[in-house]
Amino acid sequence: MNTAETDQKLKEAFSHAVPDVLNLVLSDCQKQKGSDMKMKDSGKKSLRIRQLAGIAAAFVLLIGGTAGFQFYQANYKVASTVSLDVNPSIEIMVNKKERVIEVNAKNQDAQAVIGDMDFEGSSLDVTLNALIGSMLRNGYLNEIANSILISVDNQDPVKSAELQTRLADEINSLLQSNSFNGAVLSQSISTDTHLKELADSYGITLGKTQLIQQIIAQNAFYSFEDLVPLSINELNLLSESGNLNLNNVNSLGTASDKAYIGEESAWNIALTHAGAEESDLTKQRIELDYENGLMIYELEFNCLGFEYDYEIDAVSGMILKQEKDQDDDYIPANAENAPAAETQDPAAGTGQQPAQTQQDPPAQTQDPPAQTEQPPAQTQDLPSSTQQPSYGGWHHNEHNGHHRNLHHSASYCNCIGESAARGIAFTHACISEGSVYDYKWELDEDDGLWFYEMEFKCDGYEYDYEIDAATGSIVKSEKDYDD
Amino acid sequence: MGFGLISPDDWKTELNAADLDRLLAGIANGDSQSLAALYHSTSAAIYAFALSVLKNAQDAEDVLHDCYLNIHSAASGYRPLGKPMAWILTITRNLCLLKLRERGKRADIPVEDWESYLESRDTVTPEDRLILRACMNHLSDEERQIVVLHAVAGFKHREIADLTGLSLTGVLSKYSRALKKLKQYMEQEGTL
Repeated sequence: MNTAETDQKLKEAFSHAVPDVLNLVLSDCQKQKGSDMKMKDSGKKSLRIRQLAGIAAAFVLLIGGTAGFQFYQANYKVASTVSLDVNPSIEIMVNKKERVIEVNAKNQDAQAVIGDMDFEGSSLDVTLNALIGSMLRNGYLNEIANSILISVDNQDPVKSAELQTRLADEINSLLQSNSFNGAVLSQSISTDTHLKELADSYGITLGKTQLIQQIIAQNAFYSFEDLVPLSINELNLLSESGNLNLNNVNSLGTASDKAYIGEESAWNIALTHAGAEESDLTKQRIELDYENGLMIYELEFNCLGFEYDYEIDAVSGMILKQEKDQDDDYIPANAENAPAAETQDPAAGTGQQPAQTQQDPPAQTQDPPAQTEQPPAQTQDLPSSTQQPSYGGWHHNEHNGHHRNLHHSASYCNCIGESAARGIAFTHACISEGSVYDYKWELDEDDGLWFYEMEFKCDGYEYDYEIDAATGSIVKSEKDYDD
Repeated sequence: MGFGLISPDDWKTELNAADLDRLLAGIANGDSQSLAALYHSTSAAIYAFALSVLKNAQDAEDVLHDCYLNIHSAASGYRPLGKPMAWILTITRNLCLLKLRERGKRADIPVEDWESYLESRDTVTPEDRLILRACMNHLSDEERQIVVLHAVAGFKHREIADLTGLSLTGVLSKYSRALKKLKQYMEQEGTL
């Protein structure tokens, strides 16, 4: 039995084993559609209902020294939970009258925001005002991280929706300051036990949990764990850049991307590296994405018979991945173009073009302390003790000492650089750079260590290398017939 | 894989990425025919992957069901980039992870669970049972998932590396080791 037969047997076996749930799926999808429709109308009359409820509650108060239970209901029973997420995550429980029962800090940043303020008995408006003010003063909200998420959880969906809209507007107006405009995401929570368990297990608010779930539902390439450490601004950027249509999330304003190099610079870096002219591009796409703990721009474009694929660190502008393939659909405008592009290939593929400097770690120019111990890039097999990646020496955000830099600590900034890694691989393979074709590489992270993964072809063989990005040592090398 | 090996039934359901993209667009427009067609051409892959992760027939069936509901609700946000199967299998993977978390890590699932389920399916031939047993019992979790993604979902090794976060070389070596094990088992059981 050969490989293809085994594969085929397995495939048949599984297609025979799969249970038939199609009818159930179809009927459940029908129901899903129905509930979508129902979700849409949340009427305006809700405001009046809420006011009436407020007045009724006040009456109870006036009449009622004896009615202890009702007094409790009106004052100490949590009617709504409002959570604020920026990076600090705060949960505010209020009673029917929108007086604060309890304010909970869900993380350390939140404790810093709340400080020694005591909100018990204050109105929700005053509390929100004070908390937003504190976030601004402490630098959690600023021109480079301007997004806030408000989530409202009330048993009554009508009340939830009303409160959500009102609070979003209030906070939005608080954030339109001279120096920057805020971006406000708001949603109503539909609590289920699963959502609650998830939120508890990660120690984040229900609101952030629901937002992450919505993003995953739209872009299945993310996993829940990946997105937990991101700030709301980063989540907002991902959903804007990916054109995600998040159900039931209202968005005011635009997330700030000032912490990043911007799409235009990303294009410049990629096109310069590829030696391509913007006017020659036939297809192009850019998207802000999150991978290996880094915000990255993903670029894809077709140019003169080739398909290019780049990944660029959105903070440093460093190229993390480069692929170039034949564009099978390419029809040259005139016959002379095709061979010209063909002969360019080996040089372009191995980085002989003008933008070579882009491949070196940006830390060389931006982060002097981390650089002093940097050994010459071409040296091989250095003892790894001198090469420990420097964590945290990489602050993109000088305005904001409190902002969590965890996922931008860019531990790869001490790496040897792609050109050095390439040299090591080619030397090991005993081949000269000029004879290499179909060269691809990627800087990838695995358990906190960074590796250059390289694939290239030469003389009828296909090579596959993995090189430790900090030490330059070869972790894996494979050579195979190119079939 | 050779064309001669594909039975007429399988041939009908072998859809390429562009076909799947079209079906997803149909689903986004609320067309239940498209959903049914997508189901027929992808359910084996989704189920196989879910079973290979969860090792429990009921859980895998739940994931299969939920996966199509998710596809249905998320189809309008899907952007056709020529990788519909990667999208679908990522949804499957996330649902599997949720399932695992929901019920706590379950390393000690009785093997009889899926075996007794297979006994009850009359479409499953004795030979099917043999290779499924080999796949479920004699491969490591990673090996099983790689083999399933390649053989049933039709993923290239590079795509498997992307989806699982393993390196390409890791995927290749695990795949060949897994196939060796499968063949060995099948030979021992005397079907060859």
